Amino acid sequence: MSRVDPITLEVIRNGLASIADEMALIVMRSAYSPVVRDIMDYSTALCDPQGRVIAQGLTLPIQLCSFPRVMRFIEQKFGADLSPGDVLITNDPYSAGGQHLPDIYVIKPIFQGTALAGYAATVAHHTDLGGIVPGSVAIYATEIQQEGLRLPLLKLYAAGEPNATLFELIQSNTRQPVEVLGDLRAQIAACTTAERGLLQLVERYGAAELALYVEALHAHAEQMMRDTIRELPNGVYVGEDYLDGIGEAPEPIRIRATVTVMDDSIDIDFEGTSGQVAASINCPISLPESAAFTAIRCLSRRDIPNCDGYLKPITVRAPEGCLLNPVYPAACGARGVVGYRVFDTIMRALAQVVPERAIAGSEGGPFLMAAGGTYQGRQYVLNEMLVGTWGARADRDGIEAISNPAANLSNQPIEMIEAEMPVEVLRYGFVTDSGGAGRHRGGLAFTREFRFLQPTGFNLRGDRRDHPPYGLEGGGTGGPSAHVHIGADGSEKLLPTMPMRGFAAASGDVFRLVGAGGGGYGDALEREPERVLADVVAEKVSIDGAARDYGVVIGDDLRLDLGATQSLGAARRAGVAR
Amino acid sequence: MAYRVGIDIGGTFTDIALVDAAGTVSIRKVASTPDDYSRGIADGLATLIGELGIAPAEISAIVHATTVATNTILEFKGARTGLVTTRGFRDVLELRRLRIPVLYDLQYDKPPPLVPRQRRLEISERMRPDGTVRVPLDEAEVHNAAQRFRAAGIESVAISYLHAYANPEHEIRTEAILREELGDGVYITRGSEILPEIREYERTSTAVVNAYVGPVIRSYADALAGRLAAIGVTAPIEMMHSGGGIMRLAASVKRAASLVESGPAAGVIACARLVRGEGRGANIISFDMGGTTAKAALIEKGEAARTDEYEVGAGINLSSKLVKGGGYPIKMPFIDVSEIGAGGGSLVALDRQGRVTVGPESAGAMPGPVAYGRGGTRATLTDVFVTLGYINDTTLAGGSIAVDAEGARAALRTQIAEPLGQDLLTTARGVLTLAISTMTRAVKAVSTYRGRDPRDFSLVAFGGNGPVVAADIAAALGIRHIIVPVAAGVFSGSGLLRSDVEQEFVQPLLADTVAISPAMLADLNAELSIRARAALAADAYDAASAEFRYSADLRYFGQAYELNIADRTGEVADLVEGFHTEHERTYGHRSSADPVQLVNLRLTVRVPVASEIVRYAPAPDFERRDRLVAFGATPVMTPVIGREALGLSLRPGPFIIEDYDCTCVIPPNASARLDAAGNIEIEVSQP
Repeated sequence: MSRVDPITLEVIRNGLASIADEMALIVMRSAYSPVVRDIMDYSTALCDPQGRVIAQGLTLPIQLCSFPRVMRFIEQKFGADLSPGDVLITNDPYSAGGQHLPDIYVIKPIFQGTALAGYAATVAHHTDLGGIVPGSVAIYATEIQQEGLRLPLLKLYAAGEPNATLFELIQSNTRQPVEVLGDLRAQIAACTTAERGLLQLVERYGAAELALYVEALHAHAEQMMRDTIRELPNGVYVGEDYLDGIGEAPEPIRIRATVTVMDDSIDIDFEGTSGQVAASINCPISLPESAAFTAIRCLSRRDIPNCDGYLKPITVRAPEGCLLNPVYPAACGARGVVGYRVFDTIMRALAQVVPERAIAGSEGGPFLMAAGGTYQGRQYVLNEMLVGTWGARADRDGIEAISNPAANLSNQPIEMIEAEMPVEVLRYGFVTDSGGAGRHRGGLAFTREFRFLQPTGFNLRGDRRDHPPYGLEGGGTGGPSAHVHIGADGSEKLLPTMPMRGFAAASGDVFRLVGAGGGGYGDALEREPERVLADVVAEKVSIDGAARDYGVVIGDDLRLDLGATQSLGAARRAGVAR
Repeated sequence: MAYRVGIDIGGTFTDIALVDAAGTVSIRKVASTPDDYSRGIADGLATLIGELGIAPAEISAIVHATTVATNTILEFKGARTGLVTTRGFRDVLELRRLRIPVLYDLQYDKPPPLVPRQRRLEISERMRPDGTVRVPLDEAEVHNAAQRFRAAGIESVAISYLHAYANPEHEIRTEAILREELGDGVYITRGSEILPEIREYERTSTAVVNAYVGPVIRSYADALAGRLAAIGVTAPIEMMHSGGGIMRLAASVKRAASLVESGPAAGVIACARLVRGEGRGANIISFDMGGTTAKAALIEKGEAARTDEYEVGAGINLSSKLVKGGGYPIKMPFIDVSEIGAGGGSLVALDRQGRVTVGPESAGAMPGPVAYGRGGTRATLTDVFVTLGYINDTTLAGGSIAVDAEGARAALRTQIAEPLGQDLLTTARGVLTLAISTMTRAVKAVSTYRGRDPRDFSLVAFGGNGPVVAADIAAALGIRHIIVPVAAGVFSGSGLLRSDVEQEFVQPLLADTVAISPAMLADLNAELSIRARAALAADAYDAASAEFRYSADLRYFGQAYELNIADRTGEVADLVEGFHTEHERTYGHRSSADPVQLVNLRLTVRVPVASEIVRYAPAPDFERRDRLVAFGATPVMTPVIGREALGLSLRPGPFIIEDYDCTCVIPPNASARLDAAGNIEIEVSQP
């Protein structure tokens, strides 16, 4: 490595990163479906000729670490049988390392002459690939065959020639052919751009020199991760968290992680996790891996290069047949929530030793609400994936109105939804008192209310009602989530978090989604009364909530009653008034 | 005689450019006075016209670019602002688009909303997307809101209701009630007026930024007009807006958010003027590097590329729609300037992992680079330039600034070279390479990110430091041709004199192109034209000389982002074909069979007022000495000449051209000559 100049290394790292970002930009700006163009549920990466990730676009952490597994399947299936102009496609969890059927991977090998120079890789959540519900994510599916079109690893283009059969097949298996084909074209355009960018780098530095620097990047990333792990005390740390469970009478589903820190490596074993279920929240191993890597990386507090090397010191294992390593043909369309719970579980395990680096529970990952039907002579699908809250940190409050730390999703413009679909949004805002109390308060939950303007079928997947986001170091849990179906007559009905069926809304019915609030950090009685007052002034905490959760007495005139606050606090500490 | 004056305020210097009727420009740099910028302007202008023997009454126009709007936001010094929204949506401003510009950072904090929650009030009212009323406006609630705002001492109010772009009636009525209740002292912005386009957050944010900076701009405008009047200058004042045109001072007070990229836009416009009408090099990338940032913009066929979205306060702006969430979005016409935090004052440092970083933190004007001897102790990019010999190691700006070269070298040696275990020159070369790679991202953001190959463009380099690094930037991107204009160091100031009045008018449509008849298109364009003529008349501009350019924003049905296509024929079919072609050029594919949606019609009106610049009055001369310059591992003795000593035939590098206002470095892989107008043309040979 003596030939590696640190500055050239940085230049190459920037060069690779800007290619991956450019890919992401091209996907966003030319994609057709709201899921990709507005919510931004997609990721981009560049890989070296060995299939190892060397750069990632600024997109979804939790999706990104699934590329290594897909790349291994490509190597196995095609090996040397790849030529310039090939474009590969797959979405299959069982034969190709995918996560669930809506996530289509489009990957292009990049050649300089006849030599493989690397791969451009994209994955995007497509709006619909058939199956039993619009949007292809039915939590009540029990086999993958019910979830839509399965695409094994295939060539979408062979030596530059489009595979017309495959295109037709995809077109006829989606409720939204224009959107799906448009988004595929956007993925292909991103790969083509990456090809041009990577080849420019190869020309400038030469393949051998570039390879040397890529190795150095991998080594550098690995070293930084090992340095991070060395800062954690050796030991075995067990974390547990729960999903609420499925259906009308849910049984909690356990995620258990045994995290073993040994010098400069970490082993994560999910032994003790609940078994796979007859619902589509089974989670193919690439997502738990991705979530585990993301959690450790968040704890690192280092700007680690986005390349494969940093994965090396971390091993992830899950027993076959458990929720995190399901066996074919388990359905997995709604598995995303499990990935976020894996992130939470590992965070809880390591918060025992490095609480100052950890984060209290966030909203729990995206809440899904999909509705669809025919409007103005066209099939439409409303795919909502709503995120919004961070838990508190050791030195600061959580955040309301932000994407889960393991995601980087956006929200759909309300005006766009209303202009394109027979749906009206009645409210999008914060829920007072929903942030977990603590010396540092958890972020507030969001709520979003939809009114259906014509009879509509919809389906849901939430979580974090029975097991709300955890607090840390004595902080309170965040507010619980809710799914509420409100009839035209005003009657309210609470729907399950993970209902094993779809619902029918009459014209004028309202569906209210309430996310979970972030967990708090530290003892709420230690929060400075002035900060509680500021929250009350901003109507983020109510006057009652201030007294109940923080022991801070504030009058109706929004004045702090310091005397009453001191006595209430003292009484609380003495355990008198609870 | 009539004189026009361009005034560009920077963080350190205020540049004043004065042009006479014959096209001769005189330039002065005076120190900026951040406590009250208008004082520096008035004093500087009074001195300049005194020296030139010009009477204040002879000044016929003041054209001004300012950083006040940007600084107001960066420093959170805006007005105490309130917001009224549709019931159920007061948190839209704070919810934003959720995404953040960094990953894996659990210490992240979002930028605080410019209007805190308690000052965001909800009103019962509701429009449908087609502009019909679903819930009538509850006027009593508006009166109540006004009372709450009065009690809270609100100085400025933004109004933003859902679907107000489709029907502004409720917003207009709300404004009238608030005006009646709160009086003329309170500044009011309507979302439907400032941005009549779909997407509630972007419109609300734009209205809020406008409301937040509006009162500050209003006071600034009053102070400026007052100071100028006090020295006898009563000429109309015009302001450069971020879209690259100028507007009346009074109009800019109403559209205060449009002043955010005022200064950078002036430089880009100057570049566009430089090459307009020339066949050669009409496709250029402007590169402007000053003390804190490097800025790049794309100019094709003499027209600057534009964008309609910008985030202010995001630290760096790569004109990247991906790295969102770090600042405050403004959706308005902007010259698409990509800005990155690397300038002469950028700090050179080692991060926790021992990697070299350049910027974005800057030593600013004070304490400044170590080399300037004003108290700076941390190594900056300027200190690297001094160490390499790229810039003069004894004095700068024609001898007015003494350079502490030894201090610069010592800082770089002890802070960077020694910890890295490298020698000084290797380190300086390395830091320069890294800075170049950082700055090339700004150039790539306006070229490769938009599907343009930088090798097809010439680079126009200006600003105090642009010509220092231009050849290295060009070499890194494969660009072969560079132009360094006359008076490159104060080019933005002269850009103000070369700008025309420009305003944009928008008509939202959101219709399938097959449903748009030729008559409908003609009618809508005629309506835009009527609106534009009324606006010109209100500002006392000459509509007869105005140029009207029609265009349309199109996208494939289902896409969220439009491409703007010029309407040259008034035919919908030509717009659609133009869109297919532009889509293919930008994204590499077209979908001729897919339905195309027309989202907005646009009319850009330009009233020509720009001055012809014929020559520059001579700048003070100073002594130049040859010096050692490290273009590679070994420094070589390099000639240092004045611009006038360069001839019309190519002279091979290495050599250095030192002007009063900037330094231009010609490395060994380049050669340079003057063109007939006195611009330096550099040819860069590729390795």
